Amino acid sequence: MTTGIDRREFLRVAALGAAGAVSAVYFPTRGARGALAAMPEKYTEAPLLAGLVKQGKLPPLAQRLPAADDILVVKPIEEIGQYGGTWRLVWKGPADFHAYGRENYEPVLRWPRDPKDPIQPGLAKRWQFSDDGKTLTLFFRKGLKWSDGKPWTVDDILFWWQDIETNKELTAAPHAEWVVDGKPMTLEKVDDSTIRLKFAGPNGLVLQMLAFHGNQWPLNFERFGFFAPAHYLRQFHPKYNKDIKDYKLFNEKADDLNQERPAMTPWPVSQYRPGDAKLVATRNPYYWKVDPQGQQLPYIDRLELTLVENNEAAATLALSCQIDMQYRSMDLKKFPLFVQKSGECGYRVYKWRSAQGSAVLFWPNQSYGGDPVLRKIFQDKNFRIALSLALDRKKINAVSYLYQGIINAPSVVPDSAYFVPEVAKTYQDYNPKSAGEYLDKAGLKLSPDGKTRLRPDGKSLEVTIETQLQGADLDAVQLAAADWNAVGVKAVVKTMSRDLYWPRATGNEVQIATWFGDRGIEPFVDPIYIFPFDERSWMAPAFGTYYKTNGQKGEKPVGSLAEMQKMYDQFKVTVDRAKQVAIGKRLVQMAVEECMAINTVGATPVPLIVKNNFKNVPIQYMQDWIIMSPGNLDTIQFFFKKS
Amino acid sequence: MIAFIIRRLLAMIPTLFFVSIATFIIIQLPPGDFLTSLQALAASSGSGADKAAMDNLRHQYGLDQPKWVRYVKWVSGFPRGDFGYSFEWKRPVRELIADRLGLTILLSVLSLVLMWIVAVPVGIYSATHQYSGTDNTLTALAFLGLSVPDFLLGLVYVFIGLFVFGASVTGLFSQRFADAPWSAGKVLDLSNHLFWPALILAVAGMTQLIRILRGSMLEVVGQQFVRTARAKGLSEQVVIHKHAVRVAINPLVSVMGMQLPQLISGATILGIVLSLPTTGPMFIRALTSQDMYLAGTFLLFLALMLMVGNLLADVALAAIDPRIRYQ
Repeated sequence: MTTGIDRREFLRVAALGAAGAVSAVYFPTRGARGALAAMPEKYTEAPLLAGLVKQGKLPPLAQRLPAADDILVVKPIEEIGQYGGTWRLVWKGPADFHAYGRENYEPVLRWPRDPKDPIQPGLAKRWQFSDDGKTLTLFFRKGLKWSDGKPWTVDDILFWWQDIETNKELTAAPHAEWVVDGKPMTLEKVDDSTIRLKFAGPNGLVLQMLAFHGNQWPLNFERFGFFAPAHYLRQFHPKYNKDIKDYKLFNEKADDLNQERPAMTPWPVSQYRPGDAKLVATRNPYYWKVDPQGQQLPYIDRLELTLVENNEAAATLALSCQIDMQYRSMDLKKFPLFVQKSGECGYRVYKWRSAQGSAVLFWPNQSYGGDPVLRKIFQDKNFRIALSLALDRKKINAVSYLYQGIINAPSVVPDSAYFVPEVAKTYQDYNPKSAGEYLDKAGLKLSPDGKTRLRPDGKSLEVTIETQLQGADLDAVQLAAADWNAVGVKAVVKTMSRDLYWPRATGNEVQIATWFGDRGIEPFVDPIYIFPFDERSWMAPAFGTYYKTNGQKGEKPVGSLAEMQKMYDQFKVTVDRAKQVAIGKRLVQMAVEECMAINTVGATPVPLIVKNNFKNVPIQYMQDWIIMSPGNLDTIQFFFKKS
Repeated sequence: MIAFIIRRLLAMIPTLFFVSIATFIIIQLPPGDFLTSLQALAASSGSGADKAAMDNLRHQYGLDQPKWVRYVKWVSGFPRGDFGYSFEWKRPVRELIADRLGLTILLSVLSLVLMWIVAVPVGIYSATHQYSGTDNTLTALAFLGLSVPDFLLGLVYVFIGLFVFGASVTGLFSQRFADAPWSAGKVLDLSNHLFWPALILAVAGMTQLIRILRGSMLEVVGQQFVRTARAKGLSEQVVIHKHAVRVAINPLVSVMGMQLPQLISGATILGIVLSLPTTGPMFIRALTSQDMYLAGTFLLFLALMLMVGNLLADVALAAIDPRIRYQ
């Protein structure tokens, strides 16, 4: 520890450490989950299903579960659960698919509960890389069944690959993770439950991608996935059904919210028509996981999602005690209201942190085409460092985020395996004087009146910040602009709607871009904020396009940006996890040292509302969409405790 | 009369045609389309839908075709009752709006009825007791009702519900009835949930009607025929209710034609505040996400509603006012 660290800082770091210790208690299944829990001796099922079996509407449990050795035993977070109940949540319609989709996170491999742990088994119980890293063999559980009782086999993967992913009518081009050296993977079926993925070179990303994109196709508008119910979808596919000419019906039937479509998820949609005020999802009788006592999961019978128009309507439902567990769509500023109602509604109200390196990030666009002088300035590291040092983050934290954010360099949060403590404080201290020195170094002289900085061509330095942010985040942008004006960098804030902003920003037309800095736990499955990865990498969209298109489009990057792209190339072909993490950390470190993005404060919390009798929910949790929160916590082991 | 109605109905067709063109142009005005909007939304929730994938979808949905082709496709479906496809909900527009349109009309008619039930007697009373204490109080209340926007009343209603009674007042059913089969209790619950929004919606129109009726009554009671009626020795009750009101109510009926579409657009924001499954929230959502056929169809229905409202008003006028004749 350097002597420069002040006492408050030390306390904060110590508190973080303590939080880590608490979370360790709440993640008792650290390590290989499947191997740890012993196989139960007999299996039991929910009363709801037992009733159906008695009526002859459902085969007995033994015929529905996979082969005995292949049943996944899930250890609950706190205690063994009880069956029953309806979990009431809210969602904002099909575009808010994740409200439903993340509760039903069911991929080939899983993100671990603790982000520092390795990838966990899912539908596949184990996997094996060939020595050269080019072939991955996936061993699936034997006897898996779709929610309609039909067997799940690797043919469902072949169908996805042949008729969806490599079908230009449905997918413009196969997703990047299945393409190595410009060549799409090839699949080889070994038997009904074993498949080989063969790549042109080593694929160091495939495991993460199977945890991330390895879901049932399509994951709503993202339209990724790894398998699809072939027996159901073939009847709507023009290749198999000659009466069908286009893919409209196919898309409609494949939709995640189509209640007829068989699923592998714990709660397939059971009652929903587009436009309905409620979406109901009921337990999958063929679900293939049990708890250590042999009780078939999930514990909860139904999910019921109420359609709301906005966060206010969501809060109204929460305040009238009609929510059982929810963090999505809950605003931090309503936290006091929720607490006020917690007694009456029987809620516990927690704060879950968001895995944002920074709630708001600023990217001086290093590939900006509109003004060559500005572009040169943006490319100068000294200029970016000056912007960072000129920011009073404590003020932003106080004004916009009610003192709830953590001041920490951008890109990743401390929970991430890629966190680099050495650079967590780099360029984070508010120091306008030092900022001025860096501006001098960047060749931006003070004007004679001492108020503005001058560009090398003699004009006064003026930058436009374009933003689609609103509310507290927009306040943060305004505060930052004021801070920059104070050091002579005239910053103008231009706000616009998301629809207008998005094409401008991806089109390389924005001088200083803004966005949320999420994906702070697992940045490398889509590393757009770390280095110029594609057109969404707003530190230099044109360089990103160049990388994505292999030099076909965009502009050739310069300096460290080009170097980082090469390092990621290396990351992608590294199958050894430890080596990969080392490269990742180096990339994170470079992004911070190069000051690619100017951060504000990160890890801001969202309120989590949990009914008192809703159990197995951790108090401490870092939520992010990449890890499909709360999917990686195993939503199937949440339950209602009968007192 | 019947010929008149038929003529009017036929005249609606070209009007609707022009409205459809105007609607289509308006909805095309914002830059981008549904997929740019979806992409931006997806991006803000954290995922990054690929541009190539979006272009692919754009092709499938026919969004890459010229505007006039899209327009013709949309319009040519109307005679078959096909109003296009909603991109956001992935369903034909017709399926989506049927239920909601029904509910919206139910709510609007209910508040129209409430409006009249309250406005007519109060208006008459106000006029016949001009400048009395009650009249002054009613007038003050009416101005208050006119100046408070309905969404604010909606918010107050939600607030009272939540913090005084601790009950949710949003939506159409209480939780225990939401999935229950239809029963007397459920009907009661529905009407309880519908009554208050209908009343809130009715308030502004109601106060407006009171003022109109009061003014028109005051004018009528001063006229010759009323004095004649009084002179003939008719009781005050008969003079007012049988003779004066019949004439004075004329402007009320004329406004009715405009009230229907007003109610429906007023119900939009209230629908959002109270989470009602009416057309309003879906319409706003369609506008923001550029779900153009859905938004266009709503606009078209609003226009249709205005025309139907006017037709009904004209028919009603002919029925009650002997001076009006349609050739």
